[in-house]
Amino acid sequence: MRAIGSSLPRGDAVGKVVGATPYSGDLSMPGMLHAVTLFARRPHARILALDLGEAGRVPGVVCILTAADVPHNRFGLNVPDQPVLCGPGDDEHASRVRFVGDKVAVVVAETVEAAERARALIRVEYEALPVVPNPVAARQTGAPVLHAAHPDNVLLHYRVRKGDTLAGFAQADVVVEGEYSVGGQEHAFLQPEAGLAWLDEEGRVAVACAGQWAHEEQEQIAHALRLPDERVRVIHPAIGGAFGGREDISVQIVLALAAQKTGRPVKMVWTREESIIGHHKRHPMTYRCRTGATRDGRLVAAEVELVSDCGAYASTSTKVLGNATIMAVGPYDIPHVSIDAYTVYTNNVPSGAFRGFGAPQSHFAAESQMNKLAAALGMDPVELRLKNALRDGSLQVTQAPMPAGVSMDHVIEQCAESIGWRRTAQGWQRPAAAQPDSPWLRRGIGFAAAFKNIGFSFGYREHCWATVEIHGGGDIDRVVVRCAGSDVGQGAHLAFQQIAAEALGIEAEKVEIVSADTATTPGSSGSASASRMTFMAGNAIRGAAEKALAMWRDEEDRPVIATYEFNPPATTPMDDMGRSTPNFTYGYVAEAVEAEIDTETGEVRVRRVVCADDVGRAVNPQQVTGQIEGAVVQAQGWATIENFVQRDGLVLTPHLSTYLIPTVRDIPDRVDSIIVEVPDPLGPFGARGMAEMPFIPFAPALTAALHDATGVWFDHLPLTPVRVLETLDEQA
Amino acid sequence: MKPAPFEYYVPRSLDEALALLAEHGYDAKPLAGGQSLVPAMNFRLAQPAVLVDLNNLADLAGIMADGEGGLRIGAMTRQRAVERSPLVAQRAPLLAETLPYIAHPQIRNRGTVGGSLAHNDPAAELPAVALALDARMRVRKQDGERVVAASDFFLGIFTTALEPDELLTEIVFPPLPPRSGVAFEEMARRHGDYALVGCAARVTLAENGKVSDSRLVFFSVGDGPVQAVAAAKTLRGQRPGPAAMRASAEAASQEIDPPSDIHASADFRRHLAQVLARRALTRAVDRASALR
Ligand SMILES: Cc1cc2nc3c(=O)[nH]c(=O)nc-3n(C[C@H](O)[C@H](O)[C@H](O)COP(=O)(O)OP(=O)(O)OC[C@H]3O[C@@H](n4cnc5c(N)ncnc54)[C@H](O)[C@@H]3O)c2cc1C
Repeated sequence: MRAIGSSLPRGDAVGKVVGATPYSGDLSMPGMLHAVTLFARRPHARILALDLGEAGRVPGVVCILTAADVPHNRFGLNVPDQPVLCGPGDDEHASRVRFVGDKVAVVVAETVEAAERARALIRVEYEALPVVPNPVAARQTGAPVLHAAHPDNVLLHYRVRKGDTLAGFAQADVVVEGEYSVGGQEHAFLQPEAGLAWLDEEGRVAVACAGQWAHEEQEQIAHALRLPDERVRVIHPAIGGAFGGREDISVQIVLALAAQKTGRPVKMVWTREESIIGHHKRHPMTYRCRTGATRDGRLVAAEVELVSDCGAYASTSTKVLGNATIMAVGPYDIPHVSIDAYTVYTNNVPSGAFRGFGAPQSHFAAESQMNKLAAALGMDPVELRLKNALRDGSLQVTQAPMPAGVSMDHVIEQCAESIGWRRTAQGWQRPAAAQPDSPWLRRGIGFAAAFKNIGFSFGYREHCWATVEIHGGGDIDRVVVRCAGSDVGQGAHLAFQQIAAEALGIEAEKVEIVSADTATTPGSSGSASASRMTFMAGNAIRGAAEKALAMWRDEEDRPVIATYEFNPPATTPMDDMGRSTPNFTYGYVAEAVEAEIDTETGEVRVRRVVCADDVGRAVNPQQVTGQIEGAVVQAQGWATIENFVQRDGLVLTPHLSTYLIPTVRDIPDRVDSIIVEVPDPLGPFGARGMAEMPFIPFAPALTAALHDATGVWFDHLPLTPVRVLETLDEQA
Repeated sequence: MKPAPFEYYVPRSLDEALALLAEHGYDAKPLAGGQSLVPAMNFRLAQPAVLVDLNNLADLAGIMADGEGGLRIGAMTRQRAVERSPLVAQRAPLLAETLPYIAHPQIRNRGTVGGSLAHNDPAAELPAVALALDARMRVRKQDGERVVAASDFFLGIFTTALEPDELLTEIVFPPLPPRSGVAFEEMARRHGDYALVGCAARVTLAENGKVSDSRLVFFSVGDGPVQAVAAAKTLRGQRPGPAAMRASAEAASQEIDPPSDIHASADFRRHLAQVLARRALTRAVDRASALR
């Protein structure tokens, strides 16, 4: 049996199911202290004074960290614009809190109870500042400036000009205009943030925590503590889900600081509420779109303006904006395109990485435009898509050709056929949904497609390290793979194991993965994000394995050890016309949704989803199906019941009783995962990244289904029952 | 979170339980399925000094026929047992129709009928059903017993006619009058969550097919189960066609004063009340008509 392509069981499954696997919140050490965080819990204020007197006298309190204790009080994954701790001092930037989850102090004590008691006694004198509640308010003249470097509160503006949209629209027989808005989303991973820090046997500050990119966390901790990177060690124990929500620093820096200051192990576990206000969300975005086509359904021009709510700090907003920009017209070849994209600081919880990374928002707008255009042309939506789908060599909006291996038409056709689209002499034809016997229930079927980059974009130096050790005599007894890449719950380590086994021609059981520890792995693997982990680590492991195998054959020494750094083709940043080679490869997906709507209560039920996802090569088909089903359900949550409500910078949904996520009884009645395998020329054994893709087309496919059911377009997410009814009323 | 410290008793008999309640009065709380009480204690919304665990009182659980068409359900009967009982399906179809809407199977496996009624959460289904069916509550204390009609039992938010030294022991559901139909409707943001709005309906038709009596009870719209009196009045004596149903539902939605929260505004709840009331009344009428 070949290692790749078989659904080997997860080695970590039993331990996780029976509760034996330690997550970071389960770790403890002798002599360990406990830390709690004092959050600002106000969206915008200046801290005038901080009085720790009474708090410091609480028995059991060991120390209280404030801004004054942080050697370099700024951090951030892309832009270091966020204070580790806010407080009065020389740095005016750190003297202000800019969102409810800004941190003011960390209390370290012998017990959690003592720490909590002390936290309640810290006196903070705030001067309230006017709140910037949304990007519209932020861009008004006279709005409070949130970051001195950006007097207009616009963190970044991307401008894309391809062809000549004036000329393009002049060729159009039909032009469709639309305005769209989408809400934020909470990751709601199972395990809230937690970590344990200590000084290890080599005197390093070690931090065990749940993250997505150990080497990046190491760098950010070292930066804030003004230490060389090698004085910091980051370890990821089992990780309880991430979805992008662990890309930013949460507890890591303050824990490292506390361990350094006290010389003792220090542990911190956030509550669910702290997690919800404390980490970033998916970007809420608004869109204004115009799309033009000729009568025979050829797209000729598109114009998009999009605005994303960056929240209080940059997080990954600039990167998300880049993705949103290049996907703003969907996976289509359009000769004339103009895009203006803005990400704007506000006093909301920062927005950042979340499965799809700007692609779900932009595809909602772009695919809704396509569905409206199909209706306006009287053309089947699948037919229209196939006419315009990106192909090998098509020019992207950035004017660079698509990398080889484009399979947009494959996934569209396979998905459409599976849910019952028919090819007729007049072209593709949508199946009619069977209507229930009820005056108020209506059913419809909708379609959408998407593409999404794999790996880091726009000139970011993308690379991944791996080491392979082969042990044995004549035969290979055992293989150790060292690769830092995080298994955030998606099963990356099993994929690593299968790829190594395949490359070496041995059984997967012989492969041991050593991972998620900056001290025992050869170098960075990059983040478990951007649908890149299997692709990047797979290539690195394959490279190291092939090198090791050659040594094994040529040399006497045992074990043989080979290290390899994988570098994909370089990408480039956008210039002032948006010209660039943004990505080295993409993944392709299409989805059809059959939904039912109650036209009197506004309830929406998803009956069936068909997702055709090109994964290049399914390393482990069961895990692929797991990713598809998980992504569909998460997208359904975003599109329907998940409603992250912020008012004047306050979070009105800080609990899982107010921020609702779908339960097993709310998910689609049926999800068909169609695994398409068009090899990626750059992928390890042809594999592509795939974990974000099935999320992306769900929302526009759902609203297309609702349009099929009711004749009404739903352009704003989430589809709360009230919003559904209001929309039905408006368009009735 | 953890509850405040408390004393814990496991009485072996009803008398022992009643004696403990008599002794501790306001400091004590009976513990049934714990599905409301334990979370409330963990959040420190309830801090009883004494818990009297009813789970060993086997006599308090059970489902029995009561005369011609009536039903008696012991207070400690698990919700799940009621849901699965053929006797309940036959004699109190409204209960059978309602139970799957209460929380999730895991919770119904522990949660009791008596616990839900004694708790009187304004968003709970069972108090509304008890009121719609004119249930009678059998209540015991150390030196006596009384029977309280559902209409006198539910007094307000989390408040009933029970005294601290009293236990609800049994609920009696009288037989439905002839030519009666019942129906239940609710809408929640998620399956298993407390409803945004829900209602239970009972309609009785006269020999001539006109409505002789009806009952419409909402929950999640006020301080407890809320009976829509005007709605019933509009229906009485009417031929139960679509227009009459619509008028009655409209009247019902006007006589309630639902709350606003993060999940739904008062206006939206009122709209839902009208839709659900119309659907429930219509189904109840259809079922009653089928019996003529
Ligand atoms: C996640 C979740 C979702 C839920 N969703 C719903 C829902 O949708 N609808 C719904 O109706 N309920 C819901 N519930 C509540 C559930 O139905 C409870 O089981 C029920 O409300 C209380 O029953 P219990 O037996 O658990 O009572 P307990 O929690 O043990 O007791 C509740 C109260 O009643 C008192 N009490 C109990 N028995 C007696 C008695 N015999 N005599 C006098 N006093 C007594 C107790 O002292 C206490 O004050 C939910 C619960 C959870 C945890």
